[in-house]
Amino acid sequence: MKNLFVALVLLSLGTFGHSYADEANIRFTAVDVYLDSAEPVAAWQFELGDRAGVMKVVGVEQGDSPAYARAPYYDREAVRLGEADRIIVADYSLADVVELPSGRVRVATVHLMLSSDDDADFNLFLVTATTYDGVVTDARISFDVRTGSEQ
Amino acid sequence: MTNREMGTMFRILAALFVSAIIVIGCATPESPEFESVEQASMPDEADNDLEEVMVTGARVENYYGPSPSKSMPASKAFAAGGYKQESALSHIESDEELWVISTPDFEGEAQDGSQDRSPGTGAMLAHIPEQSIKDVPLPLRHTDVKARIDGYISTVNVRQQFHNPFDTKIEAVYLFPLPEKSAVSEFLMIIGDRKIRGILREKEEAEAIYREARAQGYQASLLVQHRPNIFEQKVANIEPGKSIDVDIQYFNTLAYNDGWYSFVFPTVVGPRYNPPGHSDPIIPVPHGSAGNAENNTSISYLRPDERSGHDLSISVEIDAGVAIEELKSTHEIVATRPTNASAKVKLATQSTIPNRDFVLNFRVAGKTMKSSLMTYRDPTANQGYFTMMLYPPSDHESLARRPMEMVFVLDCSGSMNGWPLDRSKDAVNAALDNLQEGDTFQIIRFSENSTQLGATPLPATQENIALGRQYLKSLNSTGGTQMIEGIKAALDFPHDPARLRFVSFMTDGYIGNELDIIGAVHERIGEARIFSFGVGSSVNRYLLERMAKEGRGAVAYLSPNDSATNIMNNFFARISHPALTDLEINWGGMAVSDVYPAKLPDMFVGRAVVVTGKFTGSPNGVAVAGTRGSGRLELIIPASETDESKAQVSRIWARLRIADLTDRQAWEADPYDELGNAIKTTALEYQLMSDYTSFVAVDASRQTEGDRGVTVHQPVPVPDGVRYDTTVE
Repeated sequence: MKNLFVALVLLSLGTFGHSYADEANIRFTAVDVYLDSAEPVAAWQFELGDRAGVMKVVGVEQGDSPAYARAPYYDREAVRLGEADRIIVADYSLADVVELPSGRVRVATVHLMLSSDDDADFNLFLVTATTYDGVVTDARISFDVRTGSEQ
Repeated sequence: MTNREMGTMFRILAALFVSAIIVIGCATPESPEFESVEQASMPDEADNDLEEVMVTGARVENYYGPSPSKSMPASKAFAAGGYKQESALSHIESDEELWVISTPDFEGEAQDGSQDRSPGTGAMLAHIPEQSIKDVPLPLRHTDVKARIDGYISTVNVRQQFHNPFDTKIEAVYLFPLPEKSAVSEFLMIIGDRKIRGILREKEEAEAIYREARAQGYQASLLVQHRPNIFEQKVANIEPGKSIDVDIQYFNTLAYNDGWYSFVFPTVVGPRYNPPGHSDPIIPVPHGSAGNAENNTSISYLRPDERSGHDLSISVEIDAGVAIEELKSTHEIVATRPTNASAKVKLATQSTIPNRDFVLNFRVAGKTMKSSLMTYRDPTANQGYFTMMLYPPSDHESLARRPMEMVFVLDCSGSMNGWPLDRSKDAVNAALDNLQEGDTFQIIRFSENSTQLGATPLPATQENIALGRQYLKSLNSTGGTQMIEGIKAALDFPHDPARLRFVSFMTDGYIGNELDIIGAVHERIGEARIFSFGVGSSVNRYLLERMAKEGRGAVAYLSPNDSATNIMNNFFARISHPALTDLEINWGGMAVSDVYPAKLPDMFVGRAVVVTGKFTGSPNGVAVAGTRGSGRLELIIPASETDESKAQVSRIWARLRIADLTDRQAWEADPYDELGNAIKTTALEYQLMSDYTSFVAVDASRQTEGDRGVTVHQPVPVPDGVRYDTTVE
């Protein structure tokens, strides 16, 4: 009887579906993306990629400016089927110009799962940033990487 | 093995489960059936023990006793059962769930004096003590629904507010309903002021990401679809005293009947009956029972003496486009009218108990609605989408009535006990009043099996109608819901070419094998039409609507406050006078494809038909022609401006395509899973939830301390009017 019980226990411990348990060094990290613009920014779009091909996007968070209070949108094609190692993120704001952010401000945080022993090799570039009247502004983009365990 | 040996084995296993001790309640290869839960938890010979048995969900690494403030070491629980700790623990992974059954030898009570406060726990008592209703601390505090209706399309935001009332981390799990046609397209996890947009991925991948995040202590959420109208929300690593909200957005088209549009928000999943052998059951279990194991799809119900703090608020803004003449609802509402064509409606009590569907009906001006065509063109793909609502002519007085063969099929299972069965009988009695010379009728009942009034449909004579009424009066409700038996009985007999056959199911639809039923209808429908009544406060609308679609018919709903007689009289008048049959559509300058429904239904007075599809070319007007009486009638629908802001039209189309592919899985051989792949591709392309895709969101910026905590399955009340004792236990 005891053997039967143990067998039941073993049966019940089966795992199903896709599992990362067998893969190496699964970890999570957050990439804060900053925009630095002398002029207030009313719309922006950036692309974040990973030359090493180990990143998987698991969330997109809004930045620090109250003018961009919602979570930004991402390009569905960029994460389709989980095969892409890049994501295009964009947002716009209809806030008054005085409320739009200028200077260096975090515009988004991209939450990632890294599924390899290799480090990610991030590649970030600004597609566009515009002022409230639709004029492309000269802005710079940069990023910082955080891991949950650093908190 | 003989029956006697099997019985002996069962008793041994049952005794083992009760007296001892350790049940690994997760990751079973197949989910246990409804019956097995019942049998395992309530064996006859163990009743005396069961009165004091406590069932506690806990994690191997962090086992807690029944009180959040009173922990009990796992070794104590194992020792009590006589099994060595290592023999079981050595096989348990860190993210597995462990169920421990032990006698309640706790050192004290919870702070509120109850003995049932620990996460995922519940007293599994053989006899419910007579005491006042007690509050059960649970993670889901509130659901807030904000809807906007433009014409006949609704955009709905649902915010679920989870909070951890315990002193240990938890994972909250909540099974909930959404409308069966909802196209779920957005998902946000909200932590304080932070909003993290979820990513749609293949279901298995999303689940794997979630499991990994949960195991590593990251806050994460996962939304999974179990049925087109049943979803499961999981939120991992909610810290003690902290909150995490989840926002879901979906689109939906409203039903239109007799001048009224209906907005429906279901609030609770009714307890499903799962026929033996069904591979994908949704198991109703009492709150705190072992049926809530991981990898089961189970729904936990509060006991009659329990109450959850979860409540509901709903607000709806309507822009009907034409004057709104009247509003009514199943709930008490407060309405303001900014303009004739708009309304703002909210629940009078913004903390309503979610135990019945919220239905808001609004009647629009005009005896005859103008059919309308809404188009959208995706600028990136230059692909057009349209949705068209066809309104039939408004009167049926001049239409000839055709002889009818009415087949009434009554669900007499346990969940129909009480007013639902009484109301079904009222409806059939009203229909019998409407039968005329030349009609025939049949009455069929089903629960575990089916029986019927006559071997063949009876002529509608006074004597036969009296017999029918006697038969109705004799019907009682008990047992399970073998709806397949009712379908066979209703459709498996020769068609009478002299009469229109209408099959009218009267059921709450509380079954778990919906696709089997839809497949059975598809195979047998022939020339019959299905016009059903959903009877109950939270019926399975998905099942009833899909049956009606396959049966080229329609559904009416009977809730507790409706007059069954009035609704049946109205319904009967409509179905006995088809307004337009054999529909044909001339699409003009549109080259259409992938149109849903593929088979155009007949049009009945007062009932609109929605047709949705893709197109290329230029809309310049559509002509719909059909047979009316002995002649032909043509409806002209003018072209509308293509509106690039109506992107939801493309997602509504995609949702219908997914529904169509899902239905076809019920009857088409698909050895290479082409239908499944088509569903997955469509869902990913249009960013929609489906059986093959799920939303996942992870906050990767912060790792919570400790292990993942315990899993708490959010129990819900049984729907209003449904008896707990005949459906859950």
